[in-house]
Amino acid sequence: MKNDNKISPYLIFDPDICTGCAACVKACPTKAIRIKNDKSIRTVDYCITCGECVRICPHSALSSDIFDMNQIGNGQISVAIVSPVLYSQFPEMLPEEILTGLKKIGFDHTIDLSRYTELFQYATDEYIKRNKISNELPTPLISPICPVIIRLIMVRFPNLLDQVIPLKRPVELIELEIKQQLSDRFGVKKDLINLCNITPCPSQKVSTHMMKLSNIDSSVGINKIYRKLSQELEKMEENDTTSLHESYESARGPMWGMSGGEIAGLRTENTFAVSGLNETITYLEKIELGLFQDIDYIEFRCCPEGCIGGPLTVTDKYLAKNTVHKLVERFGIGRRLSQEKALRIYEKGFFFSETKPSELTRIFGIHKDPLSIELLKKMEKLLDIIQGKDCSVCGAPDCRTFAEDVVRGKASIDDCIILKYRDADTDEQIKALSLKS
Amino acid sequence: MTDLKKIFHVKGNDFTHAGEASVNIKNMLKSIGLDPKLIRRIGVCGYEGEMNMVMHGGDGTLSIEINTDKIILYLDDNGPGIEDLELAMKEGYSTAKDEYREMGFGAGMGLPNMKKNADEFTISSKVGRGTQVKMVFSLNH
Repeated sequence: MKNDNKISPYLIFDPDICTGCAACVKACPTKAIRIKNDKSIRTVDYCITCGECVRICPHSALSSDIFDMNQIGNGQISVAIVSPVLYSQFPEMLPEEILTGLKKIGFDHTIDLSRYTELFQYATDEYIKRNKISNELPTPLISPICPVIIRLIMVRFPNLLDQVIPLKRPVELIELEIKQQLSDRFGVKKDLINLCNITPCPSQKVSTHMMKLSNIDSSVGINKIYRKLSQELEKMEENDTTSLHESYESARGPMWGMSGGEIAGLRTENTFAVSGLNETITYLEKIELGLFQDIDYIEFRCCPEGCIGGPLTVTDKYLAKNTVHKLVERFGIGRRLSQEKALRIYEKGFFFSETKPSELTRIFGIHKDPLSIELLKKMEKLLDIIQGKDCSVCGAPDCRTFAEDVVRGKASIDDCIILKYRDADTDEQIKALSLKS
Repeated sequence: MTDLKKIFHVKGNDFTHAGEASVNIKNMLKSIGLDPKLIRRIGVCGYEGEMNMVMHGGDGTLSIEINTDKIILYLDDNGPGIEDLELAMKEGYSTAKDEYREMGFGAGMGLPNMKKNADEFTISSKVGRGTQVKMVFSLNH
């Protein structure tokens, strides 16, 4: 029998497969994982669903809890909410053909998320412009798009939550009214409309920490529909329907999925884009240090190359990038929606999230008590005594984290292989620290 | 009485690791729950100082002293020293090499920026011997 257990809203751990190698412990960007000799793995409350541990585990003892596509019940109308990343997955096909393909594999209706990404870009430009006058939030402002990055900021850089712009993400903008519209259109009751988010991102499915997609009924990874869809698209290609779609308006949507695609569509010029978790952490450290205050806005994506590098994609991320480049070359990134209308709904508060990012830490109770100077001093002394090599035998990712666990009373001195076999001299030094055991 | 003092070594011309000492200092201050605005001021000062050492100062140290009433940063290098201190404190004055300016450094804001962000700022320098800077940040508001 499979001995699975869930150790975070996102992670499933199989202790029978785990060898206790601690690769996951070291890979975790929020230092959330500890592992003990008996291979019991535990996470503290800081899982940000980035999936680094899943990617690095050499034995596949960790997996992410991915939902399957919901079975569509009788009489239900299934509506695909399509992430623009999907358009990067089929090099020979145009976005409109892909939408047609989705209908052929069973969706009754499709909604291109590109419309909402474009609205979001209008709103972002407006927010940045107004913030320059009001100085309400400190710069650089930070993109609210990537859910993993927002959780990373909550856990490791809560001071920077103030800099995350308080706008809804495109997928959150899909109004409740859309269900009403569709129910009128298809002549069925509202609760028979099933909105299904087709996404490259496993993190979207975890509805903790403000990322609740209240209007979306289900989510499915691009990888789950890929085969069926590509078979259908091949058939369509044979029938050559492409001439219908020569008039595709703009590649602004497909561009969104690529690192830099969000800011490329902004009027604000003083911006840059960072992708990949390690790079992101480096830049968040710098921002917290007080650098880049003269930059207006920074786009962050936790996946390398942006959402086209998401874990639920199929096509190689660099090939996907090439596909996007070709679309941009051919169709440009012109706007399809009116700014006037966007600004009108901006005034009505349409874009603003109910929860301010700066309130997230308080609401979700992710809070680490600060150390006293006395404890920090003990921690530094302990580190001087260990002079360790970050071996992780203790089960913590590095000596510094171990030392902090010890002074907080969450780990024992003897967990450290260096300290366990200490001489009398070292023992004296440790006793002098009078640590809680 | 000093509660805690920690010394970080900074290597001249090592741009790969430039800024690491400041990040470590920032994270220490974060762990004791210091006010984010104050952390940012101290962070900027540490970073500017560290970059100065990397660009001009040769090898040196960046140290932090955490006391219950104040935090002190010390910069101490054995670089070329500063010829005209008054001039060096002027915004926009820079002796950085062109190659560093191309990297986005050397805008002549380093020392003035440190002075602006610290509650107390003292500097002493001898040509051929090195430069020492002390910056005090008060914790009593």
